[in-house]
Amino acid sequence: MTEMTPAMIHGLAGIAVFGIGLMGALAATDRLRRLVALKLCAVGAGFVLVAAAWRTPPAAPDPVPHALVITGIVVMISAAAVALAIIRRLHSLEAETDE
Amino acid sequence: MSDNLPDPMILVILLPLFGTVAAFVLPRAAPVIGLATLAAMTAAVVALGRAVAQAGAVSLPLAGWGAPLGIELRADGLALAMLALTALIGIAVGFGALGTFARARTSAGDGGQPTSRQRAFFWPLCLLLLTGMNGVYLGADLFNLYVMIEVISLAAVGLTVLGGTVTALRAGLAYMYASLLGALMMLLGVGFIYLQAGRLDFEGLAGVQPTPALSAAFALIFVGLALKAALFPLHFWLPDAHANATAPASALLSALVVKAGLYILLRLAEAGPFPGETLLKLMGILGTGAVIWGGVQALRADRLKLMVAWSTVAQIGLIFIALARGGADGLSDSWRAATLLILAHALAKAAMFLAAGRIKEVIGHDRIREFDRSPVRPTLAQFAFALAAVSLIGLPPSLGFIGKWSLMDGAMRAGNWHWVAVTMIATLLSVAYFSRALTGFLRFDRVRAPVTEHRGWALADAPPFMLALLAIGLGLAAAPILVILEFGQPFGVSP
Amino acid sequence: MTEPLLVFDLLLAGVVVAVAALTLLVRDAFAMIVAFVVFGIFVAIAFVRLAAPDVALAEAAIGTGVTGALMLRALAHLRGGSLSGKDPAPLSGPTRATTLGIDGTLAVCVTVALGIAFFGAPQAGPGIEAEVAAALPQSGVAHPVTAVLLNFRSYDTLMEIVVLLAAVIVVWQVDRGLSGASDPLTGEVYQGFARVILPVAVTVGGYLLWIGAAAPGGAFQAGAVLAAVAVLVLLSRLYTPAAAHRHLIRATFVAGTVVFAAVALGVAGAGRTAFEYPPGHAKSLILLIESALTISIAVTLGALFHGREPASPLRKETR
Repeated sequence: MTEMTPAMIHGLAGIAVFGIGLMGALAATDRLRRLVALKLCAVGAGFVLVAAAWRTPPAAPDPVPHALVITGIVVMISAAAVALAIIRRLHSLEAETDE
Repeated sequence: MSDNLPDPMILVILLPLFGTVAAFVLPRAAPVIGLATLAAMTAAVVALGRAVAQAGAVSLPLAGWGAPLGIELRADGLALAMLALTALIGIAVGFGALGTFARARTSAGDGGQPTSRQRAFFWPLCLLLLTGMNGVYLGADLFNLYVMIEVISLAAVGLTVLGGTVTALRAGLAYMYASLLGALMMLLGVGFIYLQAGRLDFEGLAGVQPTPALSAAFALIFVGLALKAALFPLHFWLPDAHANATAPASALLSALVVKAGLYILLRLAEAGPFPGETLLKLMGILGTGAVIWGGVQALRADRLKLMVAWSTVAQIGLIFIALARGGADGLSDSWRAATLLILAHALAKAAMFLAAGRIKEVIGHDRIREFDRSPVRPTLAQFAFALAAVSLIGLPPSLGFIGKWSLMDGAMRAGNWHWVAVTMIATLLSVAYFSRALTGFLRFDRVRAPVTEHRGWALADAPPFMLALLAIGLGLAAAPILVILEFGQPFGVSP
Repeated sequence: MTEPLLVFDLLLAGVVVAVAALTLLVRDAFAMIVAFVVFGIFVAIAFVRLAAPDVALAEAAIGTGVTGALMLRALAHLRGGSLSGKDPAPLSGPTRATTLGIDGTLAVCVTVALGIAFFGAPQAGPGIEAEVAAALPQSGVAHPVTAVLLNFRSYDTLMEIVVLLAAVIVVWQVDRGLSGASDPLTGEVYQGFARVILPVAVTVGGYLLWIGAAAPGGAFQAGAVLAAVAVLVLLSRLYTPAAAHRHLIRATFVAGTVVFAAVALGVAGAGRTAFEYPPGHAKSLILLIESALTISIAVTLGALFHGREPASPLRKETR
């Protein structure tokens, strides 16, 4: 490895965040925490892409990964909303059967 | 092609999308909108089929930019076969759904959703699923495939939890999480490939030098898609999700949704330096694990739908073995065997889940052990189930037989006798578990029901029966199917 | 590269990773969500540092803001209306060490594969930025990210809005509001606050939409800001979704998809493919699509926060 660049530092951070999220998603025992862990994975993935798109100024960054990450963010919130709705509904039903 | 009509390729994707919107906005008219959309979509597939038959592979540069800046759609024989399969299954399941959701059953005690609500939400989700599936077949861009597979995944989760019961919701959440993790791995893998190749379109992958970094990226995508395709041991979410969904939803999930991941793997193999020899070996080993584990679990399952779901795990394993059987030759030939198995499994499994749904509906339960005690016999549904089982087991002349024969033939020619052995084991296991259900259908010594209660068949039995007939009969049409698959020469010139 | 900036990068990256770990380590679910929001803010700062203001905006507004709100809403539901207190379903005891070991090994393996893939790839390698720059003058907008989203890869963006539509369809299907899902508590302070902040937020949203053609911003960011407005309006009960508005709300959900897809098909013909804007009309068509998208995104995100469909006629059957 030659020289430390912001792209490398943040790319590494992104990979670490993805790893933390993955570990959390595999190990989490409650539903909400697993969702947060998966969201961390998503942010980590986005982080890596944005870091990779960075270019040493004055060169402008590559806009394509940026567009991809924005798409990824919207996809992720859609999935999170569905998961949360199922969690809420399950909670209602489980509370009912307990009574 | 008229200059004023949009290309059938984009219509194949956007027609079901418009159908989704219409069925969502007008829930009362949803079944009519759904069937009309299916008809229009089928017409577009036929138009596309004509274009592909004339010109071989056709492509459409969306927004006029073309790769690598824009996104291209691409259709060849393989895509066409999958589109036709999807339209066919969509129509059959659609008619099946008419019957399933017709009765105004109010919710059961377990929080189940009333059928009127199920019907209102089934159609938008079903059409959305078809949008995503067609988009995957025609996609030629890595990131676009990621977005499409997410459309599929959300629609599939919606279909999984359509019944609204606690078990369905639990299975749906597990499915959502597994699917999400798979998607994120694919996203990251796609990103890494972009770093390496500087492009996202399939054509751009062709010239990339295979490096460890690229292999790692492909491995990530492979794991992500294997999770979505439920390759052992990443199948953990599938049995519960498919067994607890309502019958039409289960049919779509097992016939189509798991195939999306498989199809993308096929396309990746066509486009770039993937899969390496190690990955192919791994596919074979995991496939073997799936065949054995899925088979054993299907043998142990106490409910019919659960058994059918576990058999999906085993059959998916077999498709991966079909990919791996060529060994060093890669997929240049074995993609045909895999595709035949995909087609056969889709038809038979859709028929089987629809039939199982009918059986459960008529008998009132789907506990395999107690089938022979039932006073009523849904004869035609049971017959459809048996026909589908014949194709899945792989007896001649069914399409399943052609697929398995193609698998074993290729394995023998490559000298990979172990894959022949595994296929034999898979066949034996499937005979064993399906015969458990079939003997339950056949023995009627325990209870003799009065003739009036002998509900033999109903109109709702037609869709599974037709699908099962196709699963058998298309085996006789294997030659034309292979001709269609060769349009545009996927995987290059055939050897 | 100047040294101080590099130190800042190292610090920022360190904080991001640390907060990510903290998010999953804190025991209380409320604290977890708060940590997650803090994490999102740091990530957004890092995105700004990496010259990705669009992504920073989207991450802050949608990925952190709206997601955090959705999570808090769900937590309030799980805890019977308040955000504090114990989780109702006690977690099963500590996970067995072996399971944890396997999970850990798996996660480490994948992470190492990621490291290989990242460092093996050429740094600042060839992208298609040259093509983007060359085609930008014909795209109808001056901001490259917007050009990619609404012109070059507009098909992806259509499907992205379809994913959002899929989400709201599934949420409405799942959430039937059984056993009185309690709404978050609101006070009168909210109402006053909302009246002051609403015009400001709407202005900001409109500005973001307009500026997206030339500078960072655009439909998704504007939609998220307007969604914040929607959430505020719902919380302060300035608007309560009524059954009579059901059809209007559904129509608003699908408006973005319909306008986008209709334009995509409508421009086809006369030698142009779908999604190919006629020369000279690109800017106005993009603005039309973006306006429809913004409204759909805002209402959809608001509805995702609200959860169930306003009392449907089928309600009787659902008890």
